[in-house]
Amino acid sequence: MQRQSFWSGLVVIAFALLALNWIIPEYAGVNPQAQMPPELVPSIASWIMLISGVIIVLRSVVGMARTGQMPVTREINWSALSWAAWPFLYVGAAIVVLDNFGLIGLGHLNILGRDDVKLTYAGAPMIMGMLYLLGERRWHVLLGCSLVPVALLYGLSVHLMRVGVI
Amino acid sequence: MIGASIQEALTLNALIGIGGGVFMGYVIGVIPGLSRSVAIAIAIPLTFYMSPLVAISFLIGLSKGTAAGSAVSAILLNAPGEASSAATALDGYPLAKSGKPKTALQVGLVASVAGDILATIILIFVAIPFARVALMFGPYEMAAILAFALVFIAGLSGGNIFKGLAAGAFGIFLGTIGLDAQTGLPRLTFGYTQLMDGVPLIAVAIGTLALSEMFVQSEKLRFQRETMAVKLEHRADDHITFPILRRIIPTILRGTGIGTFVGALPGLGPSVGSWMSYGVAQKWSKTPENFGKGEPQGIAASESADNAVIPAALIPLFGLGIPGNVSAALLIGAFAIHGITVGPLLLRDEPELLYSIFAGMVVASIFMLILGWFGLMVFAQITRVPPHVVIPIVIFFCLGGILLQGYGTFGLVILMGFALLGYLMKKYDYSFVTFLVAFIITPMLELNLRQSIILSRGEWSILLDRPIAIFFIACTIVALVMLGQRTLRGSREVEAVAQT
Repeated sequence: MQRQSFWSGLVVIAFALLALNWIIPEYAGVNPQAQMPPELVPSIASWIMLISGVIIVLRSVVGMARTGQMPVTREINWSALSWAAWPFLYVGAAIVVLDNFGLIGLGHLNILGRDDVKLTYAGAPMIMGMLYLLGERRWHVLLGCSLVPVALLYGLSVHLMRVGVI
Repeated sequence: MIGASIQEALTLNALIGIGGGVFMGYVIGVIPGLSRSVAIAIAIPLTFYMSPLVAISFLIGLSKGTAAGSAVSAILLNAPGEASSAATALDGYPLAKSGKPKTALQVGLVASVAGDILATIILIFVAIPFARVALMFGPYEMAAILAFALVFIAGLSGGNIFKGLAAGAFGIFLGTIGLDAQTGLPRLTFGYTQLMDGVPLIAVAIGTLALSEMFVQSEKLRFQRETMAVKLEHRADDHITFPILRRIIPTILRGTGIGTFVGALPGLGPSVGSWMSYGVAQKWSKTPENFGKGEPQGIAASESADNAVIPAALIPLFGLGIPGNVSAALLIGAFAIHGITVGPLLLRDEPELLYSIFAGMVVASIFMLILGWFGLMVFAQITRVPPHVVIPIVIFFCLGGILLQGYGTFGLVILMGFALLGYLMKKYDYSFVTFLVAFIITPMLELNLRQSIILSRGEWSILLDRPIAIFFIACTIVALVMLGQRTLRGSREVEAVAQT
């Protein structure tokens, strides 16, 4: 825990310093006439992050020194790490594929006179693929669990299009 | 006016919205791993086309249904739908295993509904006078109260106040992205026009709460795959009886009181309420040795407090505009989507809507009892759905929710970013509750701060004429010092344990 706090505290400090030295001066905008400058609240937030980050790191350093821990370890569980990472990569890859193949948006079957393929078309294989990777092998479960949610979203999107919300 | 508001809550549209919310909440609550906040985050996009009353009633019904539904999985699976039902599992599961699953479920349901209705009545009688007083507050008082609430939530919603403050400050930082209200110039938008209106709340909420939770759940699947539910069968002696009911009534009343008190304080949440109530019930019981072995009082204590927290958390929300927990924070977002400013101004500007929401909450409690009582067999079947089937479906709805709002690829990228952030916050114990609450209330905090600075013309001495503001500033400092000390003391104790 101390090691995790140490590294996460460093990330907080790094972000706060980045915000104070680059993000806020470059992108917060200035208005000399304003009684409350636009950078005031983001700057206060960054200072709170910086101070909190320093305390988190100092506490974890003291804790590690007392318990004889080192900030780095060779005991990285690659199997656990890859198990934790693959769902992110899967969803991330799905978004990239959807974007590159022009599938972003909600689906319909030419109701509005367009024939673009959307998430409701790509959704079923996406769910099915993830179910398979999570260990599901029963074909009826694969089929049902991937088609029913897509049909529900499809129905909802068609309804919302008809009432003019989307 | 009150009569018209009640009529409004009893229209067919409102009843469908409330009933649909409670039903959906029940189904989601029964599935382990899907919590109240996950349900609300996913459901907010569905409320866009509803009227404000139906939308808010739907979300409150959803919240109530989830709390009641999570008891079903706690009792039948020994796997609570959410953390606040963990205390319910202590006695619910042993009672179910002993051949009385229906009794356990009915005790849980009665306690849930009673706790919920009583706390809703307390909300109605407390929130309105509270809001009347709050209407007299100016920007100085509101800014001080919001700062106090944030520090309080940061300290109490996680174990470490410094991590809570860092998370809250990050939420404030992100909350300032968008057009500056005074200059009208883009602030921290990095040139992206999509960020002119700020970081989309839906993407932040769904990413931090729902999608990240699915990644956490999928990680857990590495070790926990199958769940075995206790089977619900028709047995003549398996139902709640009058002697049981008589025994649990005092426990329910006590649990409701504890849940209401805990819920009204920002940052504590339903888990604290249910565990506190369970502990008190055990202490007051004539047979404390039966707790943990299937004691109905244990179920009643936990469930009444858990459900009382939900209406009670709306006391600071309707009274002051301060969300006490994530669900309340999401409701602020839902109100904002419908162009309504929640807080004391709601009482002044739209009292009919406020009274209709209160009426809708009572109707939701009645729905909860009816659905829970007659749908026990159906909901019990849902506990058999394996978690690995739920994860891809919820992920799909997360992506669909973003696309429903028309955010496109940009929204999906933001969603993934916040899913990663939420995952890391949960993993490294940074309070995502504080982060989300801070993100949502930042516009209000900044507005009140700006008005205070402009009105005072930079003169701090003006605060001397504002005793309430000074009181809350002092409370903020005291809370900061005390919670800081608690965190430091806690870490020394952990180190001492590690060394021994």
